[in-house]
Amino acid sequence: MTEWRREKLAREARIEAGRVHAAGKVVPAGTAVALLEAVLRPGDRVCLEGDNQKQADCLARALSACDPETIHDLHMVQSGIVLPEHLDVFETGIAKRLDYSYSGPQGARIAKMLYGGQIQLGAVHTYLELFARYFVDLTPNVALIAGVSADRDGNLYTGPNTEDTPTVVEATAFKNGVVIAQVNEIVDKVPRVDIPGDRIDFVVEADTPFYVEPLFTRDPAAMTETQILIAMMAIKGIYAEYGIRRLNHGIGFGTAAIELLLPTYGEKLGLKGKIATHWALNPHPTLIPAIESGWVKQIHCFGSEVGMDRYIRARPDVFFTGADGSLRSNRAFCQTAGLYACDMFIGATLQIDLMGHSSTITQSRVAGFGGAPNMGSDPHGRRHPSDAWMKAGREGEIVGDPALMRGRKLVVQLVETFGDKLVPTFVERLDALELAKTIGLELAPVMIYADDVTHIVTEEGIANLLLCRNADEREQAIRGVAGYTEVGRGRDRAKVEALRARGVIRRPEDLGIEPLDADRALLAAKSIKDLVHWSGGLYEPPARFRNW
Amino acid sequence: MAGTRAARIDPDTVSWYEATARQRVRALVDPGSFREFLGPTERRMSPHLPLFDLPRAFDDGIVVGRADLDGGPVLIAAQEGRFMGGAFGEVHGGKLVGLLRAALELKPTAVLILFDTGGVRLQEANAGETAIAEAMRAIVDVRAAGIPVIGLIGGRAGCYGGGGLIAGTCSRLAVSEGGRISVSGPEVIETNKGAEEFDSRDRALVWRTMGGKHRRLIGGADAFCADTVAAFRHAALDLIRRAPTFDLATLDAEQARLESRIARFGECRDATDVWARLGVNDPEAVPAMDTRAFDETVSRVGDADHDAR
Repeated sequence: MTEWRREKLAREARIEAGRVHAAGKVVPAGTAVALLEAVLRPGDRVCLEGDNQKQADCLARALSACDPETIHDLHMVQSGIVLPEHLDVFETGIAKRLDYSYSGPQGARIAKMLYGGQIQLGAVHTYLELFARYFVDLTPNVALIAGVSADRDGNLYTGPNTEDTPTVVEATAFKNGVVIAQVNEIVDKVPRVDIPGDRIDFVVEADTPFYVEPLFTRDPAAMTETQILIAMMAIKGIYAEYGIRRLNHGIGFGTAAIELLLPTYGEKLGLKGKIATHWALNPHPTLIPAIESGWVKQIHCFGSEVGMDRYIRARPDVFFTGADGSLRSNRAFCQTAGLYACDMFIGATLQIDLMGHSSTITQSRVAGFGGAPNMGSDPHGRRHPSDAWMKAGREGEIVGDPALMRGRKLVVQLVETFGDKLVPTFVERLDALELAKTIGLELAPVMIYADDVTHIVTEEGIANLLLCRNADEREQAIRGVAGYTEVGRGRDRAKVEALRARGVIRRPEDLGIEPLDADRALLAAKSIKDLVHWSGGLYEPPARFRNW
Repeated sequence: MAGTRAARIDPDTVSWYEATARQRVRALVDPGSFREFLGPTERRMSPHLPLFDLPRAFDDGIVVGRADLDGGPVLIAAQEGRFMGGAFGEVHGGKLVGLLRAALELKPTAVLILFDTGGVRLQEANAGETAIAEAMRAIVDVRAAGIPVIGLIGGRAGCYGGGGLIAGTCSRLAVSEGGRISVSGPEVIETNKGAEEFDSRDRALVWRTMGGKHRRLIGGADAFCADTVAAFRHAALDLIRRAPTFDLATLDAEQARLESRIARFGECRDATDVWARLGVNDPEAVPAMDTRAFDETVSRVGDADHDAR
C-alpha cells in the first residue's frame, strides 16, 4: 500500500525531538543549537530568514554553531545572504547548496566561495522568483524566521518589517515543514498577530534584538547639483510627459532627489495630484516632504525603514497599518504590486552597455538581484490599461495591427555618466559577462535586460529608447547621453543630432530646463534635520545620520 | 549669468552651511562692497598639487579681501570647504597671513575669518603647518593693535586641525548648529584610540562632542546662530562690539577659565554629562532644540558668556 503520510510523520518526529529542549513551544537562546541539531536532518532544505532588512541573526549564529558531523549538506533557500554566518555554514560543511536572491554586503565573499567551489549554486533569483519556487520545487523542510515578539502559543508579531515572513511560513508550515521563530521577547499578548501560532512550532527568545539596517535613508545633505539636474529632467521629461501616478523608486540618490523636488519643482510645474500619487515603496524618509505636502495618496511597503515607525503610525491614511497602528509590510505582495500595478520603475545601476542591458555586478562582487528585475520589467501578463502605459505602448509599437496594441511599462535608468570614484557607467561590455564565465554561471547576471528599458536619463539628457527603430539608433541614443565616457565620446555626432531632432534624445534645454537652476535650494529638505521638521518631530533618524 | 545668480542671494534665507565661500562673503557684507585681493583671475595656485596629479583651484580654496560691514571697513577671509576640505596649503595659508598683516596698516574695525576647514593640507603639510603658526602670531599682533578678530563657523568641513588652533586665538567666535570646532577630527580619534573611545560613524555623538551647541554651552563659542547668512552677520556685528581688550588681564582670565573647565568637566564621559553639570535641566533634549529654545537654555547657563579669551 502507498504511504501518503511520510512527510507528516517525519515532521512529527522532528517536533518530538525538538520538544525535549522546549517548555511548550518556548526555547531559551542558550539551547538554540541543541534545538536545531534535534530538528534538522542532513540534506534538509532550510530557509534561514535573511530579508532585505530583518535578519534571523540569533538563529543564524546557532546554525553556524551546529556540529557539522550531525548537521551537514543543507540546501539553503533564502532571499538574502547578508550576515557572515550565512556563508560560514558553507565553510564548515553544514550547508552545501544555495539558492538565493540578494547578497549585498557579502557580495565579494560569495563570489570567492563560488569560484572556490565551496558553494554549489542553484541560481541567483529575483525575490518573486525565489518565493514562487518555495511553492514548487524549493519548499523548505525547516524555516528559521524572525519576529519582534510572540506569545507562548507562538502567535507572532513581526513588527513593521514583516517582509518575507508570511511567504516563508506559508510554504513551510502547510507542506509538512517545521517553523522556528526567534523573537526579541515573549509576551502575554502580541500587539497584533502577523503569523497565527498554529504555524509556528518553536519560539526562541533571542539574546539580542534582531538587527535592522537603515537601507533606504539618503541624506539630503549629500545630494549634488548633478543629481538635482537629472531629477528635474526626469520629472519634466518623463513623470509629467506620461502622467505617471503609480510607481516604484529605486534607492539611489537620483530618485531621492526626485522625491525632494516634488513639493518644490513639481509644485511649480503644477503637477501635484497629476503624478506620483500611488507607490510601491519602502518608507523612504526623503518622501516625507511630498507626503506632508499632500502629493501622496498611498504607499504599500516591501519592508519598513529604521526611524520611520512613529511617523507611519501617525499617517494611516497613507500607509498600510495593522490594528495596533504599526506598519504592515509584505515583500511578496509589494513586489507583485510593483510588477503589475505600477506604470513605472525608475532606478540607478552600475553599468549600462551599448544596447541598454544593465548590471550591478562587478568582476569581484556578486550582489544578486533583489527585486529590481521584477519591478524593472514589462509584465506581459498585464491586462489593465492606463494612460501612461498606453502612451508608452504607442511609442514602442512599430509593426502589427494597432487594434491589438498593448501598453508598455516604463522602465527608466537614472544614472550619472560617471559613478563612484569616476568609474564610467557606460561600457562596451558588462563585467557581468566576464564574471559568469569565471564562475561558470549558465545565465549571465543581468539586472535589467535591454528590451525592458524604455528610458535612460543622465546629466546630458534623456534617451527615449521606445522611439528607436533599430539597433544602430538605439546604440547612438545611448552614446548620445553617455557624456564624456569612452562610450559617449564614441558617438556619431550627425546621427545623435538627427535623434535629437526627432525627440529621441532630449537635452535639458530641449526640455526648457536651465542647468544653472539645478540648485540645492530646490530641495524641499536639505538635511536629515529638515526631514525631522517636515515630519513634525515624528521621524527619528538613526544616530549615524544626525548632525546635531 | 553669474551676476544674476548672485543677485538672487537673500541673506535671510541663504543657508550658511549650503553656501560657497564666495556666496557667504557677498551676502554677509554690505551689498556690493566686497573687493577681493588675489582673486581667481590672478591664478595664484598651489605649486605642490600637480606633483600629486591633483586638481588645483584658481583661488587655492580661500577668498580674501576688504568690505564694509554696516558701514565700517572690515577685512575678510573665507575658506572654501568644497575644495580639498578647506585645507591650509602654502598659497591658501599665505593669503590668510597676508590679510592679517595688512590689518596692521589698514586698521579696519575688525577682521572676519569664515572658517571651513579640515586643517592642514597633507600634500603640502610643512607649508600648511607654518601658515597655521604664522596666522596665530599675526592674529595676536592684530588683536594687540586693538582690532578684534572674529571667527564665523558653520560650514560643512567644520573647523578642525590647525583651523581649530587659529580659532582658539580669535577674539570671539560665532557658531551654528551644523558647525563643528575641534583639533583632532572624529576619524583621527577613532583611528588612534579605537571605536570604543570615539565612534566616528555615530554622528549624533560627533555633534554632541564637537558641534556648535556644545561649544556655545561651554563658552568655547560666544554666539550661536541660526543657519542663515543674516544670523551670522548679526552675530559678527554684535561680537565686534563685545570683543575683549587684549591684555594680560584677559589672558589670565582665559587661563583661569580653561583650568576650571578641565577641573569641573575633565571626568565627564559624554557631553550630556557636561551639560547636566552646567545646570541644563534636560540635557538629552538639547540636540533637538530649535534656536530660540537653545538661546533660552544658554541664557540660564553661567559659563557660556565670559570676559576671557
